[in-house]
Amino acid sequence: MLDVQDLHAFYGASHVVQGVSFSVKQGEAVALVGRNGVGKTSTLKSLMGMETRTRGSIAFDGGSLMGMASHVRASKGLGYVPEERAVFPQMTVEENIRIGSLLGKSGDQKSVLDRAYALFPILRERKGQMAGTLSGGQQKMLALARGIALRPKLLLVDEPTEGLMPANVELITHALLTATQEGMTVLLVDSSFDLLKTLCTRMYAMDRGVLVGTYQPTDFASADQLAATMLGEARAQ
Amino acid sequence: MLNQVLLQLLNGLVVGSSLALVAAGLALLFGVLHIINFAQGDFFMMGGYAVWFSFNLTHNYVAAMIVGTIAMGIIGGIILSAVIWPLLQRSQVLVLLATLGLSLILEQLATNILGGDTKLVPPPLPVPVPIGPILYPAYDLVVIAAGIGILILGYFALQYTRYGIWLRAVAQNRPMAAALGVPVPRVYVLAFMVSAALAAMAGGLLLPLQSVYPTIGGDVIQNAFIIVVAGGLGNFRGAAIVALLVGEFNALGQLIPGIKPSVLTLILFGLVILLLMYRAQRQHALLRL
Repeated sequence: MLDVQDLHAFYGASHVVQGVSFSVKQGEAVALVGRNGVGKTSTLKSLMGMETRTRGSIAFDGGSLMGMASHVRASKGLGYVPEERAVFPQMTVEENIRIGSLLGKSGDQKSVLDRAYALFPILRERKGQMAGTLSGGQQKMLALARGIALRPKLLLVDEPTEGLMPANVELITHALLTATQEGMTVLLVDSSFDLLKTLCTRMYAMDRGVLVGTYQPTDFASADQLAATMLGEARAQ
Repeated sequence: MLNQVLLQLLNGLVVGSSLALVAAGLALLFGVLHIINFAQGDFFMMGGYAVWFSFNLTHNYVAAMIVGTIAMGIIGGIILSAVIWPLLQRSQVLVLLATLGLSLILEQLATNILGGDTKLVPPPLPVPVPIGPILYPAYDLVVIAAGIGILILGYFALQYTRYGIWLRAVAQNRPMAAALGVPVPRVYVLAFMVSAALAAMAGGLLLPLQSVYPTIGGDVIQNAFIIVVAGGLGNFRGAAIVALLVGEFNALGQLIPGIKPSVLTLILFGLVILLLMYRAQRQHALLRL
């Protein structure tokens, strides 16, 4: 479904993604793991068309995405849940969810809202509240609920559990697991051992702009082992 | 005296509601694209000419208003797209200079093509309407109603229509809006067109009251900028409300014996500076669209 070949991204003078190649099959949940600042977020943004300078090839669902604007990629079936600045602060929770569904029919708009509220019922209680006044965790839930409820073919999710309480990590894990069971393909950046173990079929380790290894979640017995391997890969470079 | 106050209150609403249209257009552009359009006053001027021209063709003021506003929305949208689009990824200073240059060009073109003289239309509704103890020209009441009506319509369109929600979404978080599939280029063009049409409509509405000449935009734009800054840059509702207040301030100020209009302007600037100082201490008070 997604085939990335020799992808490069530049941010100012720095070469943040340096020739990454990987693929994600229909129905898979694949993770990019690695330390902070190694180019995971930039890889996701490049896929979404949000990095200004990229090179390489991105094939998605049979066509090339290179050179397309973000909103065109979204219409081709890509969804994105960023780590930061994911919500529209001075719009209500309900408007935040509706924005992406306004291209569709009004019946679809209603079901997008229902699906989002079913994932995190707290959002229904807060639907008239400005998104900027939600707690950080609630904003993350809002962004993820919106991303899943819009039912993209491939959802790119950046650090959904970063900084969340364990109870919320469980909620988010469950939401993503349900989405993949219903057929959504997911490309994820995260470091929560529980989430990766439950959700992912494959993991790519990334370091300093390149991929340095491929793992199965079963390769790791504990969170410590996962962390040690990531750091080990870094040292081995 | 009470009659005088009532009269000036109404005069303030006439000036304020038309200023509000110009300023709301500026605020919309600033909100969505974070640019300041120095040529906004010239769209006001062109709106006046467009309605004058359509009126001479149709001899129907309502038809002329509608045709003039829509035509200027389209023409203004095309001009702004042509001037601003190539500069969007560049420094904001370039956009500022480009719209300033555009303003000079439009003004000079108007003078060359249409002449520097004042164009008039006959009064569309020469009937006085009794309001309490005074008689007030019916057309002035139409200007107030049309101006305020369009602004309320615009506010609700921003709140509830698809493109309204998209305009606000792009204003608040453009990358995320695009990632959700919002067609950002179309939203930009819409903002250009609506902004130009709002200014043009104000120019057309005021045409029977103050006629039109090539430099009329300059007089409007100065007040409009004060209003947009005071209303909270990029805040459509704030700009509209402050515009009405500024209209009333200038109109009621004239009732004070011995005070010159220039002194009123100075006081107004002082008040806006105080407002900005106060707001600088509470950043969160700034609203976007």
